[in-house]
This record gives sequence, structure tokens and C-alpha cells, in this order.
Amino acid sequence: MSIRWGYGTNGFANHRLDDALAIIAELGYQGVALTLDHGHLDPYAPDLRAQVDRTAHRLAELGLTVVIETGARYLLDPRRKHSPTFLHDDPAPRLDFLKRAADIAADLGAQAMSCWSGVRPAHVPEAAAWDRLADGVAQVLEHARQRQVVVGFEPEPGMLVDTLATWRELRDRVGDGLGLTLDIGHCRANEPADVPECVRQAGPHLVNVQIDDMVRGVHEHLEFGEGEIDFPPVLRALADTGYDGLVAVELARHSHAAPEVAARSLTFLRAAQWLGDALARVRRDPAALAVLLPAARRHVGADGAEGARIRLLQATLLSPEQATDLYRYGDNDEKRAVLRAWPSAELLRDALRSNDTRLVAAALGQGAELLSDAEWRQAVLKSVFMGLPLAQVHDLDRRADAELGRMLDGLRREREAAGRTMPADAVRLLERLL
Amino acid sequence: MRIFDPHIHMTSRTTDDYAAMAAAGVLALVEPAFWLGQPRTNPGSFTDYFDALLGWEPFRASQFGIRHHCTIALNPKEANDPRCREVLPLLPRYLAKDRVVAVGEIGYDSMTPDEDEVFAAQLEMAVDADLPALVHTPHRDKLVGTRRSIDVVKESGIEPGRVVLDHLNELTVAEVAASGCWMGFSIYPDTKMSPDRMVAILREHGLERMLVNSAADWGKSDPLLTLRTGEAMLAAGFTSDDVDRVLWRNPVEFYGQSKRLDLDGISDGATYAGNSILRGGS
Repeated sequence: MSIRWGYGTNGFANHRLDDALAIIAELGYQGVALTLDHGHLDPYAPDLRAQVDRTAHRLAELGLTVVIETGARYLLDPRRKHSPTFLHDDPAPRLDFLKRAADIAADLGAQAMSCWSGVRPAHVPEAAAWDRLADGVAQVLEHARQRQVVVGFEPEPGMLVDTLATWRELRDRVGDGLGLTLDIGHCRANEPADVPECVRQAGPHLVNVQIDDMVRGVHEHLEFGEGEIDFPPVLRALADTGYDGLVAVELARHSHAAPEVAARSLTFLRAAQWLGDALARVRRDPAALAVLLPAARRHVGADGAEGARIRLLQATLLSPEQATDLYRYGDNDEKRAVLRAWPSAELLRDALRSNDTRLVAAALGQGAELLSDAEWRQAVLKSVFMGLPLAQVHDLDRRADAELGRMLDGLRREREAAGRTMPADAVRLLERLL
Repeated sequence: MRIFDPHIHMTSRTTDDYAAMAAAGVLALVEPAFWLGQPRTNPGSFTDYFDALLGWEPFRASQFGIRHHCTIALNPKEANDPRCREVLPLLPRYLAKDRVVAVGEIGYDSMTPDEDEVFAAQLEMAVDADLPALVHTPHRDKLVGTRRSIDVVKESGIEPGRVVLDHLNELTVAEVAASGCWMGFSIYPDTKMSPDRMVAILREHGLERMLVNSAADWGKSDPLLTLRTGEAMLAAGFTSDDVDRVLWRNPVEFYGQSKRLDLDGISDGATYAGNSILRGGS
């Protein structure tokens, strides 16, 4: 099942909605998570009807599907963020807003509309807060049901409903009509289970998914790669749930660089998705490595290719014959990955016979423990001869001995006789050894 | 004039050729895997050759500013040798490599049952690897061989627009045009096709799906006959845009279907510090 990527318009807060939609579509996203806000389809605008029609037309023209998000910060109360919520003494403006959102979702043919509980006000006891929430949500669900709109309720760190567990409590009170909006980043921030496990648990209830990176214990939506989430297995788990709606990037604090962030995000997600699928395939069928290793660069990009290849190689237990085979038929980039993932003395020797600096450098990594001292000294000498920095040599300080010093000194004398110099790092090493 | 030679065996050519090609405006090429004059006797002989097509040869080409791509296959001639057919199971892993832009050269040499089987099997590999296919049409009994090739392509289920039938001439072009496949023409000094004959074919059949190559290899051949064909087109009244279409945009469109062409930075008349490596007019 292929994931359908979307982008949240709250990450395009400095763009006109029309422009944001155009850019999101241009970049290759298939949908948008549309946060209703003062600048984006304001539900209180006098010409709302016409705006909704225009937006529906524009979405269809661009081939975008849509979910409606209701997390605008100052739409209801310009002074207090997110206020009022279900939990305030007078939640009426919130209920009215959410019903309007359901109407807009219906008119746009949205996949779902999303909402959250709000933070419990200090003066409201917990039991009362739950009563208010259950009552309000039931009203919204009833309105949405009449408009045939699916409601996804989102656990938000810091709010009354903040985890999958508290979402379940709410569902127990309001019934099966309550769907789940899952933010992947939140799972890392505050769920007890690891992120792929959260996705599996959430699977049957998912009606909307948001995605972003995050670190443990901090509710801050981060660009991909800046947090702690390992996305390939998360995306694989998500595809395995059978959820086929939008997975929309939620980076509401990145509007200042929206087009660039949105472009980078899609590149990252597509690469992570490929790697997640490839890892699952290798676990089922290790022979697939023969076609996945060569394909890695064009799917994850040049920078991530070696890391992806090593990960694929280590996703299964390879026999020495399988590793040798992948090395034999690999190009030099694939060979490097095999040397690093499954080193053997035989493969290291082959690499050290080559004149490719990348292979020689890879052979002097941790796997070089498999080489005899004599082979290892020759390898270090060759790397100096080739101009490789000694900093790449694994365990150099411990393993370098007087014999290596003598060999390096010989090279220095030959170089001097020819009027050439030794690299400074090699000179420092040999002077320490002699 | 910018030139993409969609079929040339650079392994058999010298660095002088690379220099002359670069000076003539050749910016990119495809080197199909073929036989080497001297018969091979084992699969290792193929894989070393494939490794060179993917490793050493792109490096050589890059020294002259030329982007090198290749196609991988067991060629029709050697498909008849059981020792060579052992390479077939190794092909999918090579078809997955970055600079491989088609399965080829496949097709017929003597139209034997072994060739039938290997041709069909490799078209299936093209579908599996999501790659186009380069089909060599035979030197002998070419018209019948071409018709049979079209039939095999149809039976295979590969989309005709993802197949080029190569080494065509006046007698075979019409049927290939009707099949929806691309049409390749190898311009040779004496045999196969000359620049003037090529111009006449373009006049009669138009520019769509037309590929012009030098097919230069270890035999008597000339890697600049692509340029000469472009010049002959201009002399015959074709526009420089027509020439660009045949010698650049068409091969880019055909092999671009692989999504693996490496033309970043050169495809739109790129310049370095204001200088272009293009030569000789448009």
C-alpha cells in the first residue's frame, strides 16, 4: 500500500491559501491538512460560502484531497491561545466552531475533520473536565454524523487527552463513532511504547495522520532528521495498518521557510518510505539485497546511500558466501557497504588490493581487526601513500607499533629523496612511534 | 549542435574518439552491452564486461565531459551458447544499477529457438526492472527478423513505446513505425545506413520516435556520423530545432523512461563560468 503524503497549511501561514495549495501540489503532495484560520478559509467570514466553493474547485483542479484541522491558535479568542476549549466554563464558541468545521469538511468532501480536548483549566477538577469533554465531543460527533463527516480526535501532549490510552478512555465514553488522529511526532514525545508499536496499536482507529519529528519529552514539532524518530520502520508499520488516507506533514512553526521545508520533507519521507519497504523485503527475502543495494542511491539520495545500504545488509543474517556474492557483483559503493556491514578477511584483502581510495578507507574501518598485524601495517602504509587521512583508520593509536613507524619512516626518506613531502598526520605518527 | 548518441560501444574506442566526440557536441551516450568480436566462453566474462560498462567506461567518458550510460543483456548472437546463457540469472542484479537505462541489446541474430527463448525472457526482465528495451534487428534476413521481433514485443506485454528496434533501413522502417516502437538507425561508413539515406527516411517518416546513432564499435565505424547526419539534415532544409529533436530530445525522451539518465547540469545548454562545452552552432 502506498502512502499518500499531504502537507499542513498551518505550515504555510504566511502564504495565501491559493498559493499554498498550488505549491503543495507542485511539490508532489497529494493532499493538504487545511487548518481553518483567520487567513485560511475563516469560518466566520461573511463570504464563507463562496470561499468554500472556490477552494473545493481549486482542490479538485490540483488533484489534492483534504482533511480539516481545527488547531488555529487565536481564531476564537484573540487574547488567549486555543481558547475556549471543550473544557472551559463556556465551551459554546468551541462547539460552534467545530460544527462549522464539520460543515466545511462536508462541503469540501474532506477525508475527516480533526479536533483535540484542550488543556484542563486549573480550576476545573479532572472528573468535571472529562464530563465537559465527553458532552462536547458527543455534540460534535452528532453534528458531524448528520453531515456524514468522519471525526478524528487527536491526543496532544499537555492536554486532557494526551495519549492513546486517554483517547481510548474518551472513546469508551462517547462510542465507536470517534476516530483517531495520530501525530507521529507525539508518539515519540510522550507515548510509553516505541513509535512503530504506537502506529500498530492506533491502526484500526486511524482516520487522519500527521507526521513530524520530535524528541522524547519535548512537544516541539521538528523537521525530519532533527528529532529522534527512526522513520523507515514507522512508515512500514503505517502502511501495514492498511490506513490509506493522507499522512500530512505538521510543521506549524516553519512557515517562514515553507516552500523549502515542504520540499525537503517530501524528499525525506519518500526516502524513508523506500528504506522501510526495502528493509521489510530483505527480512522476508534476503536475496532481494542483490537488486536493492544498487538501487539505494537513486531512492534515498547520494548522502544517505551508504547508511541505507549498511542498514539493509544488517537487516538479515548474511552468510559469508552471501556477503562475498554481494561484494563481487557490487560497484565500489556497494562494496564499501559490504566491507562495513559484514567484513571478512578475504573481502578486506580484495579491497586493499584495489587502488580505489574509498575501498581502502572502508577496509581500514572496524573490520580491519580481522587483518594480521603485517597486513594491517601494509594497509596503513598504502593509505598514507594514497594520501588518505589517518583519522579514518580504526584503532590506530592502540595498534600502531614500532614496525609501522619504521615503514612510514622509509616512505618519508624516499619522499624526501624525491623532493616530496609526507602528509603531516603521518609524520606525527611516525615520530611518536620511533 | 548537442548530441546524445543512443548506441555506441565506447569500450572499443580510443580516447581520441572521446575527444573528437566531445568537440563535435556529443554530451551523453548509451553503450549497449553486446558481443566483443571474440566469442565469450563463460558468464564471468560477461560480468567483468558489465562491471567495466558501469565503472571504468563512465569514468573515461567523464574525463571528456561526456555522460555515459549503458544497457545490459545477453546479446542474441551469444544467446546460442549454453555456456553464455548462464549469465541470465545474474542479469537482474545488473539491471538494478544506477546507470543502466535499458535491457539490451536483445533480439535476433539467426532466429534460433534459443534466441526466441532468451529474447522473451529478457523482455520480461525489462518489465520487472521497469526499464525500456533495446532490440537489435538481425544483419541477415532483416525484414523477417524485424517482423518477428515486433511479434515477440507484442506478446511480451511490454509497452511498444518503451522498445526501440535498432539498425533499421528503408525496408524495415514502415512496419516498426506502425508498431508504436521507436526506430533506431545506425549510420555506418559503408553499410547499414548513410547520412543522406537517413535524411530521406526522416523526410518520408517524420521525426517522431526516431533515433540516430553511430553504433561505432570495434569494426570499421565512425563515432561522428551522428554529427554528419545532423549536418546533412540542415543541408536538406531541416531546422536546427529538428536536428536537436532527433539528436538530443528523442534519445533523452526514450531513455528517460528509465528515470536513470544522468543529465543534470548539461541538458539545457549548461555553461561553466559563462562557457559552454558545445561546439559548432546551435
